[in-house]
Amino acid sequence: MDHQIYILVIEDELEVMDALIKDLEDFEDIFPIESANNTEEAQLIVSNIIESGDEIGLILCDHVLPGQNGVDFLISLESQQDFIHTKKVLVTGQAGLEDTVSAINKANLNYYISKPWTNSGFHEVVIKQLTDFVIERKLNPLKFMGLLDSVRLSEAMRNNLLTDN
Amino acid sequence: MIKGFQRGKRTKVLELINRTIDSTKELQSLVVNFSKDELLFKEGDSLPFLYLLLDGTVSLSHKKKDNSSFEVLKLEPGHFIGIVAFNTGNNSLTTAKAVQKIKTLRFSQNEFEKYLNEHPSLRSPLQQLMMSNMTERFKVNLELESKLHSLNNTLKDEGIELKEAYQQLEESHQKLVHQEKMATLGELVAGFAHEVNNPASSLLRSSEALVKNFQNLEKENPLAIMFNLGLNAAPLSSTEVRSRMLEVQKRFPEVTERSMVRKLSHISNEGYKVIELSGKTINIESLIQQHEAGKFIHNIQLSSERIANLVKSLKSYSRHDNNEAELVDIRDGINDTLLVLSNRLKFLDLKLSLDDIPKIRVKLGELNQVWTNIIVNACDVLPDGGTIKIATRTDGNKSVVIEISDNGPGIPETLLRKIFEPNFTTKNQGAKFGLGLGLAISNEIIRQHGGYIHAYNRKKGGAKFKIVIPLKES
Repeated sequence: MDHQIYILVIEDELEVMDALIKDLEDFEDIFPIESANNTEEAQLIVSNIIESGDEIGLILCDHVLPGQNGVDFLISLESQQDFIHTKKVLVTGQAGLEDTVSAINKANLNYYISKPWTNSGFHEVVIKQLTDFVIERKLNPLKFMGLLDSVRLSEAMRNNLLTDN
Repeated sequence: MIKGFQRGKRTKVLELINRTIDSTKELQSLVVNFSKDELLFKEGDSLPFLYLLLDGTVSLSHKKKDNSSFEVLKLEPGHFIGIVAFNTGNNSLTTAKAVQKIKTLRFSQNEFEKYLNEHPSLRSPLQQLMMSNMTERFKVNLELESKLHSLNNTLKDEGIELKEAYQQLEESHQKLVHQEKMATLGELVAGFAHEVNNPASSLLRSSEALVKNFQNLEKENPLAIMFNLGLNAAPLSSTEVRSRMLEVQKRFPEVTERSMVRKLSHISNEGYKVIELSGKTINIESLIQQHEAGKFIHNIQLSSERIANLVKSLKSYSRHDNNEAELVDIRDGINDTLLVLSNRLKFLDLKLSLDDIPKIRVKLGELNQVWTNIIVNACDVLPDGGTIKIATRTDGNKSVVIEISDNGPGIPETLLRKIFEPNFTTKNQGAKFGLGLGLAISNEIIRQHGGYIHAYNRKKGGAKFKIVIPLKES
């Protein structure tokens, strides 16, 4: 298998997890989805992905979780080199102002989706974040053209070509 | 007694003086009469005369800062009028007014010494009168001083009482504001719950209608079977999904798309058999989609039922805030409270042993506030996985006992006595809210129900609240 870029979803309520994964269905052709019901499980998955030499492009994380909460989990990732480019999105209905502020300040949160979300808004966020990831990582954009923001990707490609010359 | 003694002495001296006046022409010219309400002198006047009151009453009054005046002294026959000003040479401190027609002996400033010298028979009585006047005034002064002193003390006490009363007022004001807020909140919640019920029931009915639509196919149709399997599929944790996805890859090597593998992982072995049997005649993707449709409709049903249940308990939780006592089972209120707080209790271990208790006449909405306060306090100090125990029982035929305990850090012994006092809170640090009224109000509510609430620390650790409400014959 070639190099994989994963989407990780962390959500403890199974019905909500079903809905999130259904909305991410279209992305799975290129970005395999992994799911976890708590941050402990998420940590295990994250380690496995890194060990296999793959990486995580996007984490969608609930805040109120059993054990460690979502924001603290995102903060713990922030200090690790492997996740510098990983896009972090909080999907929650319940994070208070304090938690949200600390997520933005300490976990470098990229986006906050409040529940309930809409399919189109959700798609937009995922496309934007994954496009950012591909551009920042300077990956070959061709593979992602059909799925992500083709305008920004081709622009980035032109710029990259210019700087390479 | 002293006054009587003084008056008697004064009368005797006065008689003597009157007799002297009768026999001395010169003295007769000093007699001056004033009619009722006539002023002898005004406050601030410089006094050229000293009067000896022979008959009638004179009132001395003094002006206050706000220009109103009050009576300082009533003078009777035998009293000197203007004696202070006369002795000190200062302006008069008072206004002297005849209460009725009066008779006085008027000496001018320089005449007085002269009369004392020229009429030796007057010298001694006048000096005696002067002396007794002074003594009387000194006594009055002493009495006034001691009165002032005790007044000051009373004032001080009253000041303290006032302070306490103000504090109590402040507390009850806060309590009222809090109660008002709760009442408003209750109304809001009731209105909100009512509004949410409509979409929730629409969701429930629509999903039921959808189920019928999907089940319209004949029963043996593989698509119908897959739908029904999806409708009844057990939810899988993400770990289970992962391990089943590996099995799916072995069993259906022809399926390569990861999202299809994931969908297959939710299907039971029974479903796999259906797919394997009919996979040649029916597109496998259609079969999987049918299963997925069933599963999502199941999710809709589950979620809308959850909404309906939450709304139901919110409604009954707040409905009772109409301040009327009703004959109810307290446990219903406890269950409603637990559902309303399910968000906070999600990761705690809740142990209920709600023994049968008789219905009692209480204000259920208010009691719910008590459970809420105690449980929320416990939630605030418990880590994930902490335990809250709630037990109900009857104590003989006398009372109902409700015990709420946790295995948290307990309450510091020094604070145990204070926690039911208003404005006691440990939640002031950081952005945590807390008026410090929760337990004070709880205490008040239980007291109004004729019961009591006690807080202990358990020997095994953690806090315990015991609420006892008497069974009243109704």
